[in-house]
Formats: sequence, structure tokens, C-alpha cells
Amino acid sequence: MTLATPLLDPVPPTDATPALSVRDLRISFPSEAGTVEAVRGVDFDLLPGRTLCIVGESGSGKSATAMGIMGLLPPSAELRGQVLLGGQDLVGLDDPSLSKIRGSSIGMVFQDPLSALTPIFSVGRLLSDALRVHQDLTKRAAWEQAVELLDLVGIPDPRNRAASFPHEFSGGMRQRVVIALAIANRPSVLVADEPTTALDVTVQAQILEVLRQAQRETGAGLVLITHDLGVVAGHADDVAVMYAGRFVERAGVGELFRRPTMPYTARLLAAVPDVEGGARKPLVPIGGEPPTLVNLPSGCPFASRCAVSLDACAHDEPKLRHVTGHGHVACLRAFEIADGTLDPAGDTPPAGQPAAAGRAEAAEVALRGEVALRGEVVLRVEDLVKTFPVTKGALLKRRVGTLHAVNRVSFELRAGETLGLVGESGSGKTTTLMEILRLGRPEAGRIEIAGTDVGTVPSAVRHGQLRQDVQIVMQDPLGALDPRMPVFHLLAEPLRAIGRDRESIRARVHELLTLVGLDESVSDRFPAALSGGQRQRVGIARALATEPKLLALDEPLSALDVSVQAGVINLLARLQRDLGLAYLVVAHDLSVVRYISDRIAVMYLGHIVETGDTEAIFNDPQHPYTRALLSAIPIPDPERERTRERVVLQGEQPSAARMPAGCVFVDRCPLYRSADDELRHRCRTQRPEPTPAAGRPTHQYACHGI
Amino acid sequence: MTTNASTNAPANASAEPVPRAAGSTRKRTSLGLGRLYLRRFLRNRLAVVGVVIFALLVLFAALGSRFTSRTYTDADFTALTQQPSARHWFGTNQGGNDIYACAVHGLQRSLTIAVSVSVLTIVVAAIIGSGAAYFGGRVERVTLAVIHFLLIVPSFLILALVSHRLAGDWRVLIVVLTVFGWMSTARVIWSVSTSLRERDYVKAAEFMGVGPLRIILRHIIPNLGSLLIVNLTLGVVATVLSETALSFLGFGVQTPDVSLGTMLADGAGTVTSAPWLFAFPAGLVVLLTVSMTFIGDGLRDALDPTSVTGSAGGRR
Amino acid sequence: MLRHVTRKAAGWLLMIVVATNATYFLASWFLDPRSNFKELRPVRSEAQIDRALAPYNLDPTVPLVHRWWDWFTSVTLHFDWGKSPTGVSVNGEVGYRALISAELVVVATVLSVVIGVALGVYTAARQYGWADRVSQAVSIVVFNVPTSVAALAVVFVAIWLNQHAGLHFLYVAGENSPDVEGLLPTIGDRLLHLILPTLTLTLMGYVGYHLTQRSLLLDTLHADFVRTAQATGLTRGQAIRRHALRAALIPTAASVAFSIPAIFTGAVITETVFGWNGMGRYFIQTISKNDVHGTVATAAFAAALTAIGAILADIATVFLDPRVRVS
Repeated sequence: MTLATPLLDPVPPTDATPALSVRDLRISFPSEAGTVEAVRGVDFDLLPGRTLCIVGESGSGKSATAMGIMGLLPPSAELRGQVLLGGQDLVGLDDPSLSKIRGSSIGMVFQDPLSALTPIFSVGRLLSDALRVHQDLTKRAAWEQAVELLDLVGIPDPRNRAASFPHEFSGGMRQRVVIALAIANRPSVLVADEPTTALDVTVQAQILEVLRQAQRETGAGLVLITHDLGVVAGHADDVAVMYAGRFVERAGVGELFRRPTMPYTARLLAAVPDVEGGARKPLVPIGGEPPTLVNLPSGCPFASRCAVSLDACAHDEPKLRHVTGHGHVACLRAFEIADGTLDPAGDTPPAGQPAAAGRAEAAEVALRGEVALRGEVVLRVEDLVKTFPVTKGALLKRRVGTLHAVNRVSFELRAGETLGLVGESGSGKTTTLMEILRLGRPEAGRIEIAGTDVGTVPSAVRHGQLRQDVQIVMQDPLGALDPRMPVFHLLAEPLRAIGRDRESIRARVHELLTLVGLDESVSDRFPAALSGGQRQRVGIARALATEPKLLALDEPLSALDVSVQAGVINLLARLQRDLGLAYLVVAHDLSVVRYISDRIAVMYLGHIVETGDTEAIFNDPQHPYTRALLSAIPIPDPERERTRERVVLQGEQPSAARMPAGCVFVDRCPLYRSADDELRHRCRTQRPEPTPAAGRPTHQYACHGI
Repeated sequence: MTTNASTNAPANASAEPVPRAAGSTRKRTSLGLGRLYLRRFLRNRLAVVGVVIFALLVLFAALGSRFTSRTYTDADFTALTQQPSARHWFGTNQGGNDIYACAVHGLQRSLTIAVSVSVLTIVVAAIIGSGAAYFGGRVERVTLAVIHFLLIVPSFLILALVSHRLAGDWRVLIVVLTVFGWMSTARVIWSVSTSLRERDYVKAAEFMGVGPLRIILRHIIPNLGSLLIVNLTLGVVATVLSETALSFLGFGVQTPDVSLGTMLADGAGTVTSAPWLFAFPAGLVVLLTVSMTFIGDGLRDALDPTSVTGSAGGRR
Repeated sequence: MLRHVTRKAAGWLLMIVVATNATYFLASWFLDPRSNFKELRPVRSEAQIDRALAPYNLDPTVPLVHRWWDWFTSVTLHFDWGKSPTGVSVNGEVGYRALISAELVVVATVLSVVIGVALGVYTAARQYGWADRVSQAVSIVVFNVPTSVAALAVVFVAIWLNQHAGLHFLYVAGENSPDVEGLLPTIGDRLLHLILPTLTLTLMGYVGYHLTQRSLLLDTLHADFVRTAQATGLTRGQAIRRHALRAALIPTAASVAFSIPAIFTGAVITETVFGWNGMGRYFIQTISKNDVHGTVATAAFAAALTAIGAILADIATVFLDPRVRVS
């Protein structure tokens, strides 16, 4: 099934009365360090049927804004300003009066669907309770309506599923239930706080579609809070960019992406990897860190990271000003930027910022596509298999099935090369990585590291040389670093494990810090006192300590903010070039993978369904799953995002415990749906073997239908 | 009382508990962290009161005997069952023993037992609990089965049974109380350790080739830190209570030795006729346990970075 | 469901069997019935003592395994738990004492759970309010008072009340009065005797439930699903009562089993103080009289109480939590 999302008709913003008006909203929390000014004066109007996206990095105050509108802030928070809903000010209302409005005039969709539903009630009960709070309905009538709502948000077999409990649903299905709860009483305003952050891209596309449909159905205005500029480009009518607790730019979606005017917006867009941008453009990291919102100094909070700041920026915080033909921008130099006489990225970076280094690294990234460094084979995986028993029962565990997490996976990786393993959660990509890192004998198949078969060598070698050759950088840098160890000890630990003496450890730690661009002074700090980007650099430095040949990168960027991501991407590229490392990257974000990978392997249900050079995969994907995956990733460009052809997948990845006999993708395959009976029979009964694409021997895919 | 792991997310998302600027020079952060804990602890007024009471009790146990010439074994036959007076500050019992001297000695005995048992219990429980969690598999299942079994067997009865024969000597009592007292703490440590075992930094250490013993000692046990310290203080309370119960029933410390528990037992029969025999040891026991609880509460709030009390401006 | 409970019950039965037999060996090691005869005049010879003990299966010259086997077969085949060193039947002793003890422990447990949980819920919803602070302070102090002190304090207050307020229904000793006749007066008399010991045990027991339930509910209060419930239009209070409370009760239900041994311990001291001839006091007496069989029977009784509590807790958990329901 393919469909194209058209650009929404521009609604004339003049005569309609706003569904929601927010005026000078201010929110502060007490904290150990002082009062946190999380939101410092936010204004906007939301018209019925329109979508306002609030976009910002973590800590910018966007979630606090959402909670402030709903009146769901913790009691210690202080809320000021006005939240006008249908002419009534919600600020200062007591809980009983607010509860009459919540759920009936304003509904909310939360970030984490796994914890948002009460585990002890069936979803039908949750929905009919939500209906009966505001409407005088019999239990039976409410249940009927609940079933209809479940049907509306696309839950299959809603009549039977209504009696199921939340834990019996997948994450995507739970998020549909949360949306059903939010629209149960047809509110005039919907607030969605990062509704798809916890979900896979193909599911994200479905959920955003449900949200759009729910909005159409109810005619509600939608406040969509996200950090993903691609989602913004695809769904917003208006965009507000939030930084340090304020809107720094507010404009129509077309205007904002066409000419980002606040330097922060411009730099943010330049730092986002783009999955479909043709050739790779170099990423330019912003440099520096967002300010903490305690005792914020006067002046523009972005000034210290801004390339075009003036002396005046340090004194006065600019207000949002109207810029003709664009929107509202909070920048002293907005008019210069808007009329094109000033490049917001600037030519001379401010003193003391690592932006210059970042740009040099970026230039290297642009180059590396041409430098084909192909060394010896560092990692060879042949027919790797990993299964887990599925057990039932608490006291006496009995085995009821087998989960085929990794099924006959083969690939090889050379020094200086990057292979990206991509796929949705549950596709087996992380299990593959962990099997390699475990350095044990595989269940079936072979793993060869730098020419040594891992399964046959004595354990002394395994724990000695092999351990040094393979290292890992983990997803969440805060979780991967022991919070009770200072940086020096963190970096010394792998060296101590291989028995280095004290002097050489000291020297090596110093070397490592320099290598990843960290200052010597961080070596006494604990991870909690470092910024996100610094922590990930420590994580990388630690992985490099034993001079490995192969670095496994498990979602190395997904925990980082966009403005910090670019710097780490560039660092990884430089390290690979200088040290001749082989990278095995596991990631779900294809746009990031495109920036760092030479080759890509797409995994689905434990199988590699397509593999090939990065550009070949992106420019000419063969397997229907790859195509769907690529088209599900939102592009940060409204024109392209709304006009491109999309392959929307039905349903969700099934459990690897019930593996189909034929092609693993058959349940969701769009080609299968349109295939003739003979092909359908083959798809159902034969597992497809990898076949090379026409004229490209290294580009292989496993599909009967092409 | 489980640790309060809840947190108000928006406040924490935007403000990190450790101020970023504090770590700009060498050694500042570690010092800063210690000072932060101290500041959070001192903010809890009851915890400070607890420290003061506990310090006074320790002083009393250590130096109290200097202010009297009598020992707890001396009998003053001229003053049997006397009310508190200038001569006998806490009065005397039926045998003419000076209650003040007895109380000093009893407190000393009870404190020694409580602190030793609590420390030993924590050590045993930490090793068994975190070891079971880290190794998992069969080791974990067997350990848990043993713990559950011992928790279900009325361990107090077994305690009484064993100490009836062996006790009398307070050192034996320490061993017995430890042997039958580590299970519930071990279970708590185990359940927290299972979540630590899944932490990325533990996995990272494994992938770096760090050995299991070192992982337990360097990564798991230090990160149990606040839990261990809090359980140490609560362990003192629990030990005082079970020592008192055992001695009260005649299974703990035996005459001629004296503990707070035996004093309670001796005073129990004359609550109405000679209340001071009961009141002084009872008061000391309660002061001891309450002060330890206050300290434990304060430590938990101070060491647990997610505690609501610590960040939201204090409750008491 | 039924199969689940049967399986669990079988597991517990096994636990009880193992625990009881382990106690038999422990008791045989640590208790020496011969020492009962050492004080007696005229002095008896070793052989005389052994002969006196032989009819009761306590003869130390018989190998322990033989004695155990005799005891084990008589328990399993005739449910005969043996005799004391003086020849009193354990079954007879335990029979009426078990009822007395169960009465005390069950009533106190139920009251502790109800009062503790209710207080925990009430105060958690009003965190840092005056009711929370006061009850928290009271509970912390009570938590730290040894049972013996608490029991004697209750006795002290009761005597004072009886003397000064002219009350005469607070009985501080025994489980019934000797000269009451008729069914209703007997029941009334027993209930009056039950008041003070139950009060003591409840006082010792409710604290744990109050403090854990409070912190459990406080944890759940911040759960995302409570926020979702509020977003559908419930007030904070309604969201807590309808959504947070039931979820927060689940761990408490599971912990009841593990708290029964503690209540039983409390009962030992309480029975001693109030002069009740229940299992607790029996246990003290059997140990001091080196009565191996009596001691073992008490341990079996306590383990059985624990198992019953655990099975009830299991049923409650299954009832409260759909996630553990076996399909």
C-alpha cells in the first residue's frame, strides 16, 4: 500500500478563534542547585484543526510546557501566565474544576506507552471509565463506545481485544490505546508529548497517521512536541523552536525550513543527518552545550554558541519579533538573516569554541567517501545462529518454544570499514552484536576475528588477545559508565584488566583523552558532572584503550541530542581514518547510519534481508522491507517529506518465536499482497536465498518477488 | 520500608543534581559530592537529633562507669529495691545491684552485640546477595531457595533453640544472631543487585575482560553503597530488638552478665511496684533504636539522589 | 487457577516437611532431656534416666536416626507428635494451645494489615501533611519499641485505667476467667481477655504495613499511568484511589506471608507477658524443659501458619494482578 501525504491546505489564520491560547507561560521547579526556570514566557495560539509542533532538545522546556498546559505538573512546580481554553483560563483552577476540563476539552498522548496504561485494568475498562467520567453512560453503552474507539485507532479485532490487559499489547498498539483515551470525549485540543520517541520508525509512521486521523475525526487542534525535525516537517502547520525555556523562532512550517532565521534553528537543521538528501552533506555540529536553567545569566542564552553573536547579545535577551514574510524570531540580527545578507552559520566561530575543529572534521567526512580504505578482514561471520528457549511457569520452567533471534547471518568486515546493521527492535541486530562480543563458541556457524576462529581457540587466547581486539561503545553513555568512578579510573580499567603497569596506564589515559578531544581536567570528574557529548567521548576513549581492531557501536548516537550528535559522528570518522578501525554499527536510525557506514545490512526477524554498499541501498533499495523502512524515516524537509511516495507497512514485526516457514516478511509484505497465487505459494513455503542485484554483485537481497 | 525511587521527572530532566560548574578544578568533584551528602544529611533535623542521641549513648556506655565506684555485680545489701536516690541514681533491684552501673554495662553489651552483628550481617548479606545476582543461573536459584527456606522457618524459634544451649556468652550470641539474621538483608541486596547486573557499565566491564570478583567488588557493591549503609543502621535496630527479645525470654545473655534485654526481663515482674527497674533500660533501648532509625532515614535521603526529600526543599 | 494453587500448596507442604524434620534434628542436638533428671533427688543413675526416657522415644542410647524414624512414622501414620519427657502427650497440649494462639495471631494479623494499609494509604495521599507527620512519627517510635516493652506498657496503662477509671474488663492475665459458665458469657469473657494481647500484637504488626504501604503508594503515585488517568479527567484523589491503590497493594499482599513469622515471635513474648497458654508460651516451656517433641510440633505449627499466609497472599496477588494470572 502506498500513499502520499499532501501538504495541508493553508488555513487562513485571521478570523478563526483559537482553540487554545497560551500567554506568557512560566514554569519553575525548586532544585538542589536553585530554582530551575524550565519555561520562561511562552506565547502561542492554536487554531482548530491545526498542528503546532514544539521542537527542542532535551531540557529545553518543551515537556514542561505540555504538562503546564494540562495542569499535570508536580505540586512543587510554580506555574504562571495564562492558558486560555475556549475563553477559560486554566491557570489557577483547582483540581476538581481542572479535572472537568481534562479529558473532555483537552486530551493528552504521552511519551512512553509501556508505562502510560494502568496494568491492572483491561483496555476496554480504561476506555469506558474515561468515557463515563465526562458522559452519563451505562456501562454497556460505554463499553460499546470503547470498542468503537479501539476500532477507530486501528486495533484489529477490537471487540475481543477490549477485554485484554495492557501487557498483552505491543508498544505500538498500546500507544493507539493511549490515543483512543485522549480522543474518547472528542476534545478540542490534543497535546502529544513525544508520542513516537519510544517506537520503531515503521510503527512511528503508523502512530502519526492514527494521530492525524484522530485529529481529522475530532477537528481538534494538536500540540505535537518532538525533538525530531523530520516529524516536524511531515506534520506541522506551525513550528515553534524552543531553546532554554523560550520560543526562539515561531513560523509556518514551509517558511521555517526554507529560511531558518534564528541562528540556533539554522545550526540545528545543518546538524541533522538527512536520509534522502542525495549526496552526503557534511554535518556541522553546533559546539558547546545548552545552558542549565538555574541562574541563567542575562543576554541571549544561545549567544555563547552562536557564530554571529554581537556584543549586545550578551546583555539583552531579545524578544520574539515579527519578521515580515516569515514569522516570529528572537534574535537581534533576525532581519539581516531573513533578507539573506547574513549567514547564520557565520564564517568566524566565536573564540574558545571547538566549532573550528568540528568543521575541519566535517570536511574530512565529506572526503572519506572517496578514500576507499580496504584492509584485511577483521571480522568474518558465517551462518551465525542464536536461539533462546521460550519458557513458561514460575516454579517449574518448562520450555514451550524456541525464539530464533539470529538465523544464519553472514557478513564480513575489513579494517577501516564500517558496516551498519539496521532493523527494528527485535530484528536480532543487537543479539548479533552481543554474540560477537561474547567471544564464546557460537550455537552454530563461525565467528572469525582477525583470522582467529573464536569457537576453537583456548579460553586464554579468548580472554587475552581477542578481548583486546574487540571493544564496544554503548548506547547510553551515562549508563555505560560506572557513576562512582572518576574518568581516570574508568579509562584505566580496561588497561588494568590486561595487566598494564601504573606508569603506562597514566600515559595511555592522557593519550586517550587527547585522542577523543577531551581536556585533561575531566579525568577527576565523575560521569554525572560531564555533559552528554563528553560522556560519549569518554565511552569511545575507553573502548579504544586496548587498541582494538574492531569497535562495536551499539546505537552510539541515539541517546544524544541532535546538536551534539554531529560532533560525535565526526569524531568517529576521524578516529577510523587515523587508526584504521573497523566499525560494526547497530542502529535503528537509518539517516545516522548513512553518515557513518560504508556498507549496510538490513535485518528482519533474525535474517539479513538485504545487504550492500550504503549508496546502493539508499538509492536503489530492492527488498520491500528496506523500501518501507527507508520511506518511514521522516525527512527534515517539508516539501520532500509531504510529496514523496511512501510504503506504509501494515501491522508489526511478529515474534521470532513463531517463525513463518517461507519468507519471514510475508505477513507484512506489500508485494505479497499484490502477487499472484504461484508467487504467494513460493513466498509462504520457501525461504528466499540472497540474490545479487543486477550489475552489483555486492548488493544482495532475499526476496522471491523481484 | 523500600527506598523511595520515585522522582518528579521534569525537575530532574532540566536540573542535574550536581552543579556542572563545580568540577572545574582537580579533586573538587569528589569533595563536592561528599559535601553535598553532608549538606543533605544536615538538612534533616531528626537525623541530626539522632546523631546527637546516639553519640551521647556511646559516651554513656564508654565513660559512664567513671562516675560511679560500683560495678554491675556489686550488691548493696543495705539498699534492696530502692527508688532512685543520690546514692543510687537509677535505684537498685531486689538483689541490691545498682541499676546505673547495670545500665552502663548493659548498654555497652547491647551496643557491642548490635554493632558487631549488624556489620557481620551486612558483609555476609552483601557477598551472598550480590554474588547470587551476578552469577545468576543455578547459583542464584539455590541461594534464593535457601534464603526463602530460612525466611519461612520461624528463625526466631531456631535462634532460641540454639542459643538456649550455647548462649550465656555474648560472643556466641553474636555468631548465632548473624547466622540466622542475614537472609532478609541478602534478599534485598539480591533484588537490587539483579538490576545492577543488567546495567550497561557492568556489561561494559565484562566486555573489557574484567574478572567477576573485581566486577562484584568494584562495580556492584560500591553502587549498593547507600543501601548498605542504610541497612547497617537498620540492622543495629533489628539486632537490638531480637537481642532484647531473646534475653527477655531467657535465651540470650545469661546471668551474671547483663544486657538491656535481661534488665527488661528482670524489671518486667515489678512494673507496678518498682517501675524504675523497667523504665531505665526500656528508655535506653528506645533511645538507641529510635536514634539509629533517624540516622538511617537521614542517610537514605542524603545518599539517594532521587529522593524527593533531598531535592524538594526538605520535609521536617 | 485451582491447579496453580494446588501446585503451590504442594510446594509449601514440602517446605513444612523439610523444616519440621530439620527442626527435629536440631532439637535433638541442642536439647538434652537427661538434664531434667539431674536436679532430682534421689540422684538417679544414667541407666535409670535412659530407661525413664525410653517409653517416650527419647532414649539417648538409641541412635538418632532410629528415634527420628519412629517419630516420623508415628507422625505420618497416626498424626501422633510424641510425648514430653514427663510423658504428656504433645497432641493434647498442642490441640487447645494452637486454637488459642491462632485466635491471637489471626485476629492480630488481620487487624495489622487493615490498619497499617489504611493508614499508609491515607497518609501517602496527604504526604507531608500534619496527619502524615504525626502518624509517621508515632509509627517510627512504635517500630523501635521492643515487644516486651510495648506489652508491659500496655499492661501498665490497663492497670492504671482499671484502678483510676473504674474499668474492670481489661484483663492482663490469662485467656479466660475460671468461673464463667454458659456459651455467651464464655465467648464474651474470652473476647475481653483477647483485647490487650491483640492490642499489643497489632501495635507491633501494623507499623511495618503502614511504612511500606506508604512508600509503595508514594512510588506508584508518580507512575505514568496515574498521570494518564488524571489526563482522562479524574481528580488526583480519584486517580490515586482507582488506579494507584490497587497496583500498590500487590506487593503488600505478597509480603503478608513473610511477616507471619515476625508476628509469631511477637506472640511468644506477648503470651509470656499476658500469661496466655498459647503456642508461644508452650514453645518457651518446651525448650526450657528439653521437650524435643513439643519443640518440633511448635515449629511445624509456625511453618504451617506461614504456609497458609503465603497461599492466601498468592490468591490475593492473582486476584489483584492480571499480569500473573495463568491463562
